[in-house]
Amino acid sequence: MKRVESELITNVEELLEDKKIGFFMGYENGSLPLRTSPCFVKEKEDVQRLVWNCFCTNNLSVYLVSLIPELPAGTKVGILCKGCDSRSLVNLIVEKQLKREDVLIMGISCSGMINIDKLTGNLDGGRILEVEENEEEVILKLDTGEQRFSRKDSLYESCKNCTHPTPSVYDILIRVGEHAPKSVCPDPMIAKFRQKERLERWQIFERELSRCVRCYACRNACPNCYCKECFAEQTKPRWFGLSNELSDVLFYHLVRILHQAGRCVDCGACVRACPEKVDLRLFTRMLVDEVKERFDYEPGLSPNDSHLLGVFSTDDTQEFMVEVD
Amino acid sequence: MDDQNRIMSKNDVHKKAMVIGGGIAGVQAALDLADSGVEVFLVERAPSIGGRMAQLDKTFPTNDCSLCILSPKLVESANHPNINIITNAEIEKVEGFAPRFKVRVRKKPRYVDEEKCTGCGICMTKCPVKIPDAFNVGLCDTKCIRIPFPQAVPAVAIIDRVHCIYFKRGKCRTCERFCEPQAIDFDQKEEFVDIEVGSIIVAAGLTEFSAVSKDEYGYKIFPNVVTSMEFERILSASGPTQGHVLRPSDKKEPRKIAFIQCVGSRDSTTGNEYCSAICCMQAAKDAIIITEHLQNVEICVFGMDVRAHGKNFDKFIERAQTEHRTKFVRARVASVDVNPANDDLILHYDSDGHTRREDFELLILSVGLKASPFLRRLAALLDVRLDDLGFVHTTTFTPVATSRPGIFVCGSISGPKDIPESVIEASGAASSAGAVLKSFPRRAIVVDYPPEVPVDDGDRPRIGVFVCHCGINIAGCVDVAKVVEHAASQPYVVYSQEFMFACSQDSQKLIDDKIREMGINRVVVAACTPRTHEPLFQNTLRNSGLNPYLFEFANIREQCSWVHQKEPDKATEKAKELVEMSIRKAAYLESLFKTKLSVNKNVLVIGGGLAGMSAALDLAQQDFHVDIVEKNDHLGGNLLRLNYTLDGYETKTFREHLIDQVQTHPLIKVHRNAEIDSITGFIGNYRTVVRYTNGRNIEFNRADMHDERVEIDHGVVIIASGAKEYEPNEYLYGKNQNVISQRELEVRIAESDSSLQGIDSVIMIQCVGSRNDKNPYCSRVCCSTAIKNGIRLKQLNPFVHIYVLYRDVRTYGLKEMYYKKAREAGIIFIQYDEESEPVVEEFNSHLTVRVKEKIIGKILRFSPDFVVLSNGIVPSEDNKSLSQALKVPLGADGFFLEAHVKLRPVDFATDGVFVCGLAHYPKDISETIAQAKAAASRAITVLSREEIESEAKVAYIHENRCNGCGLCVDICAYKALEIDPQRKVVTLNSALCKGCGTCAASCRSCAIDIRGFRDEQVLAALDVLRWDRK
Amino acid sequence: MKHESNERTSFDKSKSFEPKIVAFLCNWCSYAGADLAGVSRFQYPANIRIIKVPCSGRINPLYIVKALYNGVDGVLVSGCHPGDCHYISGNYFARRKFALVKKFLEYVGIESERVQFSWVSAAEGVRFAQIIDKLTNEIRKLGPLTYFRKGSTCKGDQT
Repeated sequence: MKRVESELITNVEELLEDKKIGFFMGYENGSLPLRTSPCFVKEKEDVQRLVWNCFCTNNLSVYLVSLIPELPAGTKVGILCKGCDSRSLVNLIVEKQLKREDVLIMGISCSGMINIDKLTGNLDGGRILEVEENEEEVILKLDTGEQRFSRKDSLYESCKNCTHPTPSVYDILIRVGEHAPKSVCPDPMIAKFRQKERLERWQIFERELSRCVRCYACRNACPNCYCKECFAEQTKPRWFGLSNELSDVLFYHLVRILHQAGRCVDCGACVRACPEKVDLRLFTRMLVDEVKERFDYEPGLSPNDSHLLGVFSTDDTQEFMVEVD
Repeated sequence: MDDQNRIMSKNDVHKKAMVIGGGIAGVQAALDLADSGVEVFLVERAPSIGGRMAQLDKTFPTNDCSLCILSPKLVESANHPNINIITNAEIEKVEGFAPRFKVRVRKKPRYVDEEKCTGCGICMTKCPVKIPDAFNVGLCDTKCIRIPFPQAVPAVAIIDRVHCIYFKRGKCRTCERFCEPQAIDFDQKEEFVDIEVGSIIVAAGLTEFSAVSKDEYGYKIFPNVVTSMEFERILSASGPTQGHVLRPSDKKEPRKIAFIQCVGSRDSTTGNEYCSAICCMQAAKDAIIITEHLQNVEICVFGMDVRAHGKNFDKFIERAQTEHRTKFVRARVASVDVNPANDDLILHYDSDGHTRREDFELLILSVGLKASPFLRRLAALLDVRLDDLGFVHTTTFTPVATSRPGIFVCGSISGPKDIPESVIEASGAASSAGAVLKSFPRRAIVVDYPPEVPVDDGDRPRIGVFVCHCGINIAGCVDVAKVVEHAASQPYVVYSQEFMFACSQDSQKLIDDKIREMGINRVVVAACTPRTHEPLFQNTLRNSGLNPYLFEFANIREQCSWVHQKEPDKATEKAKELVEMSIRKAAYLESLFKTKLSVNKNVLVIGGGLAGMSAALDLAQQDFHVDIVEKNDHLGGNLLRLNYTLDGYETKTFREHLIDQVQTHPLIKVHRNAEIDSITGFIGNYRTVVRYTNGRNIEFNRADMHDERVEIDHGVVIIASGAKEYEPNEYLYGKNQNVISQRELEVRIAESDSSLQGIDSVIMIQCVGSRNDKNPYCSRVCCSTAIKNGIRLKQLNPFVHIYVLYRDVRTYGLKEMYYKKAREAGIIFIQYDEESEPVVEEFNSHLTVRVKEKIIGKILRFSPDFVVLSNGIVPSEDNKSLSQALKVPLGADGFFLEAHVKLRPVDFATDGVFVCGLAHYPKDISETIAQAKAAASRAITVLSREEIESEAKVAYIHENRCNGCGLCVDICAYKALEIDPQRKVVTLNSALCKGCGTCAASCRSCAIDIRGFRDEQVLAALDVLRWDRK
Repeated sequence: MKHESNERTSFDKSKSFEPKIVAFLCNWCSYAGADLAGVSRFQYPANIRIIKVPCSGRINPLYIVKALYNGVDGVLVSGCHPGDCHYISGNYFARRKFALVKKFLEYVGIESERVQFSWVSAAEGVRFAQIIDKLTNEIRKLGPLTYFRKGSTCKGDQT
């Protein structure tokens, strides 16, 4: 990790020095252990704050849409992108929210992010002094001793089933091992859910979403949710109630998730953002799989792609349509 | 209709034309003329318009539903203020000369008053007499009083006098008793109407060959033998079997079906030696549809050559063969027997040199087309010449002109042709007919509506609801009084009333009175279908000073009373809710206006070949200014390389005259050595930058002549950029000097070149660069070219042996006569298979040709003096950049892709751009001229307007919601949306928008809405259905 | 599910359940097909309420979700057959969208019979009647849609 961090820092230093970028977005250590927060580096002297570890979970591309118009014209933003982040970013380019030349993508091939809950849930009350990681393990050094966690088992679900660990598009790539794209379709969780009885599916859907308090954290964390005015808050017409009544909550999520069709890159930001820990991926990932299977389409792989719903093929399957006889 | 009375013409003298025949060709010609400001009298012999196309199930090669695409055109012509439809009528007398003809039309009695009949169809249900249903070619019955078919235009009943009991025995009059509008008139007499018109278009079509006269096929003898037209009805969802493929004898699904092609075509025994041009494709289409209906069916098509000479036709045939289990067998069926046990049919035929017999469960005879028996009389009345085959005579260079000035033809009346060719000729004929009317003013339609009362979103709705009984059609099932009462209790409803017939004159007057009296500002009518009656009520609103879009229709007849006849309570409940939904929606209605765009009257024609020049001349003849952009330093294009035509005319005189006319016409400017640099804008308002590639070479001086570039403003664009000959590298072409192209041969023949003297034999190889993997289409003209040159060569040197190596001889339509002539002249035709192409080799500078004859499978060897290659036609490489500049698509083959292969063959989805000639697809001289004229005609429908009006129900943008993601821009088929790069929001050119709403439904931010179908309005209607409302 | 069974018992058992179905029909083909069913007097159940739209492409998935939220028991969207679209390609774009909407709603546990898509041409009066017949029967069997509609669900109501 140290190699990666120093490569990152050297790169950013050079870029800033050569004025190739106006500033750089990466991660720095958070105020709490095992946490990072976004780090905006403008001056060379701040470069040392940048870190890279298995807790750099934030999808930084979410900041770009609102940020870039605020910057002086022509400012290029350097941004550290994991595989999923880069695809979000590319999707923003496809959707004309960014221009490719607005950003310098520092890609990093990613081994997956660690779900802190899986670590902290297993601590015996010790205070974390230091964290080490290697390819296999995350090692927490506590005042009570050392605790080792299998990296594989502690990954976020979205990372476990990541299809494109290496950024699809980048200007500079920092390699951390080899991470070729892999097909995880359908996601085992989705396949399992599909097998359940209809009523059980609905009950799970209801149970998960019944925790929702409509804080919209999922929407705020999602790079795709950049609408100036979300349908959920529109009047003329008002599509559904503002209440926390279940039907209103379900309406919001059904449509928000449908709006992700062909755009969601399964970065998991919504799930991590949710204060009630609603497993939104159980539903968003279904559409990711469906889109891949039905249309052989994965968003965010090339800035020249067309939007899934902005094109069609006369051969699109229509087995879902009602037939008589 | 009321419209008719209120329309007053500014001048009594204006452009007027008559179109004889209301099939697709006649309707298209009428619409083009009407849109160009010509008053049209559309005279149809049958009781309704629509012709053959209305009876077809699907259309090849896209399998579009025939009626679905035709019906809007029929309704459009019925509602067009410039079109007078006169049905059940015949031409009686034609006097005078162009442009002053006087035509006497005989209107036969219908025994039903057209003004009074509402088309409700009650009479049909009550009439006791069943007669064979002509629309379903007698496969089932209809009533003696009937509306010819459900979508008939006009939807007016007619009594068959011959079968009517009242006319026979003086008793019955049942229909009269049940007809509440009192439209039945047994005393109706034939009427004669004299109409003065400037020009006439004849589009009376053809008829089918009567299969009875080929008794060896057993038609009308064995039950399971049907004609292709009967089979169209059997396939049709609205036909006698409701689209189930059932054979007549036992109503079972057949498992083995045969088609016999060329029944009454290409057949000297019947006297019809020409090809009917459409039957091969029709059989392939039917085969594909059959396999979509039936599992495990076996289909066999017995015929000669497979004539798939149109765009995407070959691919269609291949689909039929590979995906739809259809076998095309090259064989002439000698006779058909029946198996009396099961009514199966036994076909005897020769194939591969063997006599075979095979059983089938259903036999379809692909009957040919022939001149209608009425044509001879019509031609005599019109004084136009017929050709030897009985079709209206036209020439290669004047494909839509008859022998009489001012009278034009289109469609199959001048020879068998398919729908797009008919539509092309229809537009072409409209252009010619329009030119004759040049000296008359356009018909200015002035309707004296009262000034519109301003009503907008903010005004409190005052809704008037009018519910129609439609005699007993609605009231017989739905309790109308309850519906009216329910409506009255709804918010914003200030008035509600019932009518016996809401569409009758007196009801209209009452609605008008109530609107004024009650200050009604939104109107709901609950009656029949908006598809036929919305224009009528919208007109009522206009007459009352209301914007016509403050109107909402509730369909409680077709979609309620008629389909729930046995459940009056439920039907009443449903009608109440449907009316309530309309009321809710109506509360959100707003005044809508059409966007108007000015139209620049100039035309840009890209390409100065035959197509471009012909289009330009037609346009200039109607006083429009044309700029022709030609990339070469001369006009003429491919025409320069054609010396004579199949029918024996020299092209030189025609060509020189054409070029001369174009060059000297004061309204045509030719830009030579010129290319399109850029094109911006949209219909009515284009700006094109033309770049000169080789010096500056403009016909007329301009101030900007010294620029390398020149800017042209124009209103429409015609693409006539042509195509080119395939350049072969096979068959030793370019390696041996005696391997030449047909074009080279043609030049030598024209010049009586000495190299052709004393030669012994010539081999012609067909399909060079066509119908292969690289160019999987037929180049359409090469068979005729080979035959043309073969016949000429024989004339030049009768002793030369000519062998044509072919795959299918595609001398479609009347060209077949020259195929026959060629064979009679001794030209030998040898078929080869795609898999075993001929081999051309050279030994000691002598050519040898080897070919495997397809039928007997023997290898034949020749040592010809010349090998002549029939090179195909390939699209120009400029097409790509042109298609990008104009935002119009190319098909997979690289030719321009029209808006609709059947009914919009020269248009694009993008308004204001048209295509003709080889840029569209390979075609011959007369087809090119017809299409060029069609493009001109379509352009004139735009140019003859002072302003273009958009649809009123179009999109609009909530800019504050738009994120500028551009999804809608990708989706819009009409290129009506664009991202404003500065503001990063989408902008709409509402003149281009057709209001489909696909953009709106795709916008996640709901930043686009569709007027007339706004989200709020849909939600208001949906709100009525809330579970907790009742 | 508790509230679902409550709904069923509160529902008048003396008559069989009559669902309410909304059909969005495109103006050019399916609406004309429905008209043809009428002209031909093909009888079908009276449970359907038709809303005319210009094109199947006009149907925003929000309309479908909204209809279910209103407690409509079934939704049909019908347009021109592929290739027949009056607006050239509206139905092709719609088809993509509908595939995902239908599959997704089914996935979260809404009975697939409740949200249906079809192509009906202007000549297919019989087919239109058959589709309505089929839909109505299927949805009648399912009973009312109670678990999503506004006002009858309440957060935390489940056990």
